[in-house]
Amino acid sequence: MGKLEEPRQIRIDAKSAVPAYEQIKRAIKLAILSGRWENGKQLMTLREMALKLMVNPNTIIKVYGQLENEGFIYSRPGAGYYVKLDPAKFSKGSPELFREVTEDYISKALQLGYSAEQILREVAALTNIGIPSARRKDHGNDRD
Amino acid sequence: MIEIRGVSFSYGKTGVFRDFSLSIPEGQVCLVTGINGVGKSTLLRLMAGVLRPDKGKIRYDPKLGADPRRKIGFVSDALSLYESLTIAEAIGFHKSVYGLSSFDDSLIQHTKIGCRQKVRELSIGQRTIFHLNLILSLEPAVLLVDEIIHSIDAYLRKVFLEQIVQLLSKRRLTVVMVNVNFHDIEHLIERVILLKSGEIAVDENIEDLKSKVKKIVARNRPDSLNVLSQIDYSEHSEFFVYPFDNRLRGTIEGDIFDLNLTEIVSAFIGGEYA
Repeated sequence: MGKLEEPRQIRIDAKSAVPAYEQIKRAIKLAILSGRWENGKQLMTLREMALKLMVNPNTIIKVYGQLENEGFIYSRPGAGYYVKLDPAKFSKGSPELFREVTEDYISKALQLGYSAEQILREVAALTNIGIPSARRKDHGNDRD
Repeated sequence: MIEIRGVSFSYGKTGVFRDFSLSIPEGQVCLVTGINGVGKSTLLRLMAGVLRPDKGKIRYDPKLGADPRRKIGFVSDALSLYESLTIAEAIGFHKSVYGLSSFDDSLIQHTKIGCRQKVRELSIGQRTIFHLNLILSLEPAVLLVDEIIHSIDAYLRKVFLEQIVQLLSKRRLTVVMVNVNFHDIEHLIERVILLKSGEIAVDENIEDLKSKVKKIVARNRPDSLNVLSQIDYSEHSEFFVYPFDNRLRGTIEGDIFDLNLTEIVSAFIGGEYA
């Protein structure tokens, strides 16, 4: 069984105040949860991953260590790290990851210069949920 | 570990450091930055033992042994010793001086350096890679990298940086880089030290630094924050602030933006030129 190839989905946004290790961790979690990285597949070694992303190897040690603690991957001593997808863990929709994705979205939107109120309005509009105070300002977007 | 304690240094009458102290733990990757002439390279030369302080002490990890200089690799443009030798001769000479039984030349294999070429015929980038290869053969515990890597082309720079990542993943290596251009080393660095008038103006780990330096786009100067520098436009200004505190988010008028390391350092340095 071959190793997972290049982590193409992992892009570190140098402008973000979200630390690099956190960004990498989220990207890997998403790859695993979305099924792109299959159960049992071997991850790149610490060195390969550090070289690919041009990050300090200590960063990858931290990422793999935390992912292992959180049960997303496991290590076989001397043989590397493997994807561990435990369906039971995610059957409830992984509130933790949901929270992270949400925070990520909010911080990006704030960076784009949108206010918290505008973000709420946008989410409300996109999900068809009414937020009474926000809806009034949303001209021509009455969906009821 | 490198510990600089109460060091003073001057070139003749020109003082560079006065009672300067800095400690770098083993295995840390540090960036030293600041405006031209602030003493970045002088600091590196002091750490390398090439320059001696007028006052104060520089101590190294006892693990580096009685002659710590041997375990300190200093990558600079000083390769004058071998000018007239060919690459093969220079490697032979290097081996005999340091009593090496073998020499791993895999790094120069990445470049188009031939072993019959003379050292003086190499481009600046090739010289740097060759120099690095010589240094790495001594298995340094500390690597000091001067601004030289600015003058090498993008390919060799990548070879150079990949080599550093390889080393970091194999063993503990302390790295101190002097740099003003960061796009490709941003995620290798763990700590940023900014020098100003011979003193440490900023000393933060990278994550803290990123959370504390922000750009605020607004009409009016944010009164509650320390502004490092600003850029004015007709309708608004960009204010670069430090230290920012996330708890202030709701109280600031204007939009707040995160910055990358290049922008952060420019914000500090821009303030000095203003």
